[in-house]
Amino acid sequence: MSLAGVVGELRSGMTIGIGGWGSRRKPMALVRAILRSDLTDLTVVSYGGPDVGLLAAYGRVRRLVTGFVSLDSVPLEPHFRRARQEGTLELTEVDEGMLYWGLLAAANRLPFLPIRAGLGSDVLRVNPSLRTIRSPYEDGEELVAMPALRLDAALIHLNRADRYGNGQYLGPDPYFDDLFCQAATRRYLTCERLVDTKELLAGGPPQSLLVNRMMVDGVVETPRGAHFTSCVPDYDRDEAFQRAYAKAAGDEEAWSRFRAAYLEGDETEYQEAVIRASLT
Amino acid sequence: MGEITSLRDAIADLAFDGATVALEGFTHLIPVAAGQEIIRQGRRDLTLVRMTPDIVYDQMIGAGCARKLVFSWAGNPGVGSLHRFRDAVQNGWPVPLEIEEHSHAGMANRYVAGAAGLPFAVLRGYVGTDLVAQTPNIKPITCPFTGEVLTAVPALNPDVGIVHAQRADRAGNVQMWGITGVHKEVVLASKRSLVTVEEIVDHLDPRPGAVILPHWAITYVAEVPGGAHPSYAMGYSERDNDYYQAWDAISRDRDAFGDWLTSTVMREVRAILGDQA
Repeated sequence: MSLAGVVGELRSGMTIGIGGWGSRRKPMALVRAILRSDLTDLTVVSYGGPDVGLLAAYGRVRRLVTGFVSLDSVPLEPHFRRARQEGTLELTEVDEGMLYWGLLAAANRLPFLPIRAGLGSDVLRVNPSLRTIRSPYEDGEELVAMPALRLDAALIHLNRADRYGNGQYLGPDPYFDDLFCQAATRRYLTCERLVDTKELLAGGPPQSLLVNRMMVDGVVETPRGAHFTSCVPDYDRDEAFQRAYAKAAGDEEAWSRFRAAYLEGDETEYQEAVIRASLT
Repeated sequence: MGEITSLRDAIADLAFDGATVALEGFTHLIPVAAGQEIIRQGRRDLTLVRMTPDIVYDQMIGAGCARKLVFSWAGNPGVGSLHRFRDAVQNGWPVPLEIEEHSHAGMANRYVAGAAGLPFAVLRGYVGTDLVAQTPNIKPITCPFTGEVLTAVPALNPDVGIVHAQRADRAGNVQMWGITGVHKEVVLASKRSLVTVEEIVDHLDPRPGAVILPHWAITYVAEVPGGAHPSYAMGYSERDNDYYQAWDAISRDRDAFGDWLTSTVMREVRAILGDQA
């Protein structure tokens, strides 16, 4: 597929899960493609990084479900901070384990799953719609009932994939990309490099094959598609670019210059602009 | 943890009278040798847990090890009934056997909950079956969001979990492949555990579909080549279908079973103790 082809299958108002973690292996080319579209009113489910920041900056997010939104080396995503300060997005803030359990419930096609995470914290206070559930056994323990996080679509980025949708991560961490796919109705995978199926195992051990073709509906080859987040071992996070992004986010004029320089063209133009910037 | 020891020492340390013991393995990698060692050591009043009790549990029940069976299917696969199991339920021979019957999905979810440290599991099973009326710990649970009535089953946390696997390294990390069933879950859910393996090697090579149990999740590892016989260990042995066939005749008759027990499992004990054993 193409980036535009994937975005063409998404609709305003959808619940969209985004893989990766913080500022690591985010499907940024797809996020940028959403920015170029008129998609809006999205519910985004993410271990958030600049994916959330950019979508919030463009006013595309109605509700965010997350455990955090961070750029790792910049603790708080600046656009997310601003959206929160200005109250422009609704937030469902849960524990990371609860987010995982919500995806697991959706993957198992259950309406909820019991979990101990979230007890004794303000998570229940800030989410009045959350409920607890009591064990029906002698222990009578009260647990958090984590509702299923059913996704209309999942977007993930991996190092390698074949044209059938078998995808491989070559970095140190799978994050929860497989679970995002299992929780979603439509699943889209972007990859650094599209290879023949038999080449996948030459690149990494069997357990690096994180998603298989039954879990994926569309594949797009997007070299440096996670930029400026990391996609180890293909590339590390572009810290200089991330600093420039975070700095520009704090100032309206600087942000419109940043948008003009990087985000108003297509993906090819973005990648060319990044190369030009790194040379100067 | 993951201490490498002998089968005899591991069972002597882990299994005690009255313990809840789970031997798992779905047609493949069934820890039969470990079950027979429990017979040999004369354990009694065990609550035996297993998704698919087959020959090894028939042997343990016939030898009088068990007080209760928690299960979701029982039989001699491809052959017929388990006659020692039948005799215990119907006639209380050699000792009465209480049963607690679940579904496969229910049992698997019970292990998963036990492994996750949760008191119960939630699933959409048991609907339209008689199991709910037979097994009191199957409970309805209402989703607080949708109002849907689902099924709750209590976590399983056996005192001892035992499985067979292909390989371990010298640090006690275990690698298994093929049909691995609930191997991982039962080891993680059990308070203490034993993995019998075909061989102990210097290095575990990555393999497609292989499951690694880290040494810190396991109490003991024992090298028992052929320890899954008459089931099989993919890459090491074939399933001994003749044994399953032959078991039918042995298990139908109390005396034939007694002869089998003394001439095979207890042979080693008789050799040590002489004729009084």
